[in-house]
Amino acid sequence: MKILTPSAAGFALGLLLLARLVVAHSPICNCYDNGDDTVTCEGGFSDGASATGVSIRVFDERDRVLLDSVMAEDSTYTFDRPSEEFHVIFDAGQSHLVTIYSADIE
Amino acid sequence: MTDVITLYRSASAVAVITSLHFCLPAQAHFQVLYTEDTALRGGQATHMLLLFTHPAHGGPNMAMAEPEAFYVISQRGEEGEPTTTDLTEYLEPITWHSENGATAAYEAQLPRTLTRSLGDYVFVLQPAPYYEAGEDKYIQQFTKTMMNIGGVPGNWGEPIGLPAEILPLDKPYANWTGGVFRGVVLADGEPVPNAQLEVEYINHAPDLEQRRFADEPDVELPQGSFGTMSIFANSRGEFTIGLPRAGWWGICALEIGTDTEHEGKPLSQDAVIWVQVKDMR
Repeated sequence: MKILTPSAAGFALGLLLLARLVVAHSPICNCYDNGDDTVTCEGGFSDGASATGVSIRVFDERDRVLLDSVMAEDSTYTFDRPSEEFHVIFDAGQSHLVTIYSADIE
Repeated sequence: MTDVITLYRSASAVAVITSLHFCLPAQAHFQVLYTEDTALRGGQATHMLLLFTHPAHGGPNMAMAEPEAFYVISQRGEEGEPTTTDLTEYLEPITWHSENGATAAYEAQLPRTLTRSLGDYVFVLQPAPYYEAGEDKYIQQFTKTMMNIGGVPGNWGEPIGLPAEILPLDKPYANWTGGVFRGVVLADGEPVPNAQLEVEYINHAPDLEQRRFADEPDVELPQGSFGTMSIFANSRGEFTIGLPRAGWWGICALEIGTDTEHEGKPLSQDAVIWVQVKDMR
């Protein structure tokens, strides 16, 4: 039987806590049309955590990347509305993706 | 009790209404600040009703004067900045109908641009004091209704510092039938030990288009004590209530504000909070 040293145990506990934190909340993203040919997307998490720095990408209908950025300090991202259909992916990592299609952006 | 309520609701003479009003021992005044759904998947325009009534019985309704303040404090995420938006420009006087006549109330049609962002929306209504002739006093109920969009929490658990306020310890917009709701009674931000509270269920569904309550109650009340349930907060001002049925529950803390007089009459500054409950299905 392998006995964990205090430091190893602490590291393992830290990993467990980190894993729990990662899965304990859900990513949420919402986009709306500003009425001036721009779209704003807001990000967040179900525990109220900030989405600052979370990856956000805009794709065209053939899945080509049109925009590749991160959420700003206020957890938003504003971009010029593409002239054709598009979709937005808010990527919080570890398969925590939220996809929003242009048809649903009012 | 059912017979009394039926008689009350069909009575037309003001004298009869008034006398029965005094006969019903357990009817609480409640400032309603109502919208159909408080947990929304996405932003949308919001239709709100402002009505002073007795929700367990679907009336009688009391005429509202122009509110002193009506605003919303919104916040996206726990690290977001709270934003206060004055909503008085959206107030429209309406007439709320009942078998016993028409009553002055208000509604607000809030555009989608105001309620389209993720997060919490804490709606606050400060009505003008209402003179209750039956008690020869004024009543002013500081009322909070909370809405959330998208599931990102914000400021639902933050005190505002109202003269009379109920601070929720559970999200008021996310409650299952059979759960509990907890809160703290505050006056100017400080807990009120042993505060007296009344709890009522909106027992007649509001119809915002027809501007009247449903004639039939959702629940037959076995006795007057079940219309208005009375509880006391503990020594720290905290309370817990059960939520046995889906719908809307109002909680009112009585006479906790520091202003106790208005126009030469006693003033009761109360705090109201509304809690929406949904079935698991």
